[in-house]
Amino acid sequence: MNKYWQIAKVRMQEDTAYSAWYWAGTVSSILRLLVIYYFWQAVYSNRSAIQDIDLETMITYIVVAMLLQGFVGGVGQDLAENIKNGNVAIELMRPYDLIYKMFAVDLGSKLMHLIRGTIPMMLVAFFFMDIPFPGSVEAWLLFIISAGLGLWIGTFFDFLVGVLAFWTVNIWGVRVLKESLVTFFSGALIPISLFPDWLRVITEFLPFQAMVYLPVSIYSGMISGTEAYLAVGLQLFWLISFYVLVRVIWAQAVKQITIFGG
Amino acid sequence: MITVENLQKEYKLVKRDPGLKGAVKSLFHRQYETKKAVKGVDFTIGQGETVGYIGANGAGKSTTIKMLTGILTPSAGKVTVNGLVPYENRQENALSIGAVFGQRTQLFWDIPVRESFNLLKHIYEIPDQEFAETVSMFTEVLNLEPLLGVPVRQLSLGQKMRCELAAAFLHRPKVVYLDEPTIGLDIAVKVRIRKFIKEMNKIWGTTVLLTTHDMQDIEEICDRIIIIDEGRILYDGGLEEIKVQFGQKRVIHFDLPELDSPFILPAPLLGMAEVLPASEGETKVSLSFDHERVKSSFVISEMMNRYDIQDLTIADPKIESIVEELYNRREQGGTYEQVLANS
Ligand SMILES: Nc1ncnc2c1ncn2[C@@H]1O[C@H](COP(=O)(O)OP(=O)(O)OP(=O)(O)O)[C@@H](O)[C@H]1O
Ligand SMILES: [Mg+2]
Repeated sequence: MNKYWQIAKVRMQEDTAYSAWYWAGTVSSILRLLVIYYFWQAVYSNRSAIQDIDLETMITYIVVAMLLQGFVGGVGQDLAENIKNGNVAIELMRPYDLIYKMFAVDLGSKLMHLIRGTIPMMLVAFFFMDIPFPGSVEAWLLFIISAGLGLWIGTFFDFLVGVLAFWTVNIWGVRVLKESLVTFFSGALIPISLFPDWLRVITEFLPFQAMVYLPVSIYSGMISGTEAYLAVGLQLFWLISFYVLVRVIWAQAVKQITIFGG
Repeated sequence: MITVENLQKEYKLVKRDPGLKGAVKSLFHRQYETKKAVKGVDFTIGQGETVGYIGANGAGKSTTIKMLTGILTPSAGKVTVNGLVPYENRQENALSIGAVFGQRTQLFWDIPVRESFNLLKHIYEIPDQEFAETVSMFTEVLNLEPLLGVPVRQLSLGQKMRCELAAAFLHRPKVVYLDEPTIGLDIAVKVRIRKFIKEMNKIWGTTVLLTTHDMQDIEEICDRIIIIDEGRILYDGGLEEIKVQFGQKRVIHFDLPELDSPFILPAPLLGMAEVLPASEGETKVSLSFDHERVKSSFVISEMMNRYDIQDLTIADPKIESIVEELYNRREQGGTYEQVLANS
């Protein structure tokens, strides 16, 4: 266990290697937060609700969604690069499980993002924009669990896309497609409840809403009670399915390396 | 302990017609082409041996090593390393092996070397005390002190290779595979690295399997060589034996400062020794002869009778020339049996 934690720590250290770059990222996400904030203020300037969602709920939703969206990515990109340049073979010669190792690396980079990206944004959100907290302790707890599940679903999905590098030539195209699918269907841009009916139905069958929409809805109170527990159950379902899928596809990939020679 | 029996590897390659049409076609109808890289190799290496695994480019050396590390699954045959089948027990096997692939780095790119070692300490679960001792010893033998604080991406090739070597031996593995560890290095670094490998073999009894194209590496590190060619073993035996078996040719270099006319071989040596093309000016002459037929002392005394010799050196049979000769014979189209029989 300790070795995986050390791997996570090293990843955090690696991330600090490009520190100027990182702070630039922090500044730009705060700016983005402000733009979105004023945008929705303007949208609501001559109405009090959009489909039952009032301004405060909307702002809360959008801001929390933005905070969570920073975590739905993963280190699939690193995995894909390792696959393309053949270094993944060397990873097979280490006394660790590569999936757990990638998971640790992902954890490290997310912790770093939390410190340098999310916390500054949270400070702006809570002190400047007066974003309210969830209404109850239960909602808080559910939110934390749901957010954790959501970001791991994101991580595993990202692994899956990364491992595809074995079978696709154009990893860049696949990533762009993945990013846009996730941004749109996860509900990171607008609440899924605002989608037209047909699109919403499709979205509910997709895993992406479990990454952002469900936890944020729990936070903002758009989902509560039994519905919230069901949402967490659904997330668990996706998490386990993705984990199993990652394992199966990874085993296939290992075969590809060890039998075909990469 | 490494045992390899009838080990084979064929690579499967997806055959693709050129262009977009070919790419689309290959999606639906895959055709495989196979490439036999290793065609049935047998050997056993005992604990503490230092073995040079040599052969021309594309002979199958790296492929064999990858099968020993567990990265590749053999197409046929058996491998065991310390009692484990590497490709079936990859992680367990990993704990007792180390490897350097001269063409790839295994250190962590963005963090200082010291941190890389630290991470390896945790990954291989090396006890604190042992780790501290090992690092301080390596720092001295490989002169790592100035490098420890530098991120790997800022190191030169030679600096990086010294660190790679340290990383491979850090957990005191029983077996270390070195695939071209001296590629592209200057002579001083090569010397340091050879010394390090020898020392590790001596103090920890580490088994070393080394591939290289620099025969000096082999002469200095290995007790035994295995020569592989086109996926088959051409020779397996002691370094000294191969010299005895194939290296009957001796060369003596003479320095003849008084020589003013073209050199003529003394009559008693005609048909017994051969004059090698001169390289350094007119006053140096090298004679090559079969030392089973002619004694060195005879050649020298005949030369002394005829010429005024200022200096002479007797060259050792070099493994380099032996191997070169074996490759050449293969290239001229001999079968393995012929190559070995004619030697
Ligand atoms: N991943 C691969 N896919 C297909 N063929 C491969 C692959 N790797 C190696 N080969 C082929 O297998 C043969 C043996 O290659 P290998 O790398 O084992 O040679 P080598 O002895 O290490 O050579 P070198 O001295 O050049 O490093 C070569 O003909 C090579 O083209
Ligand atoms: Mg090679």
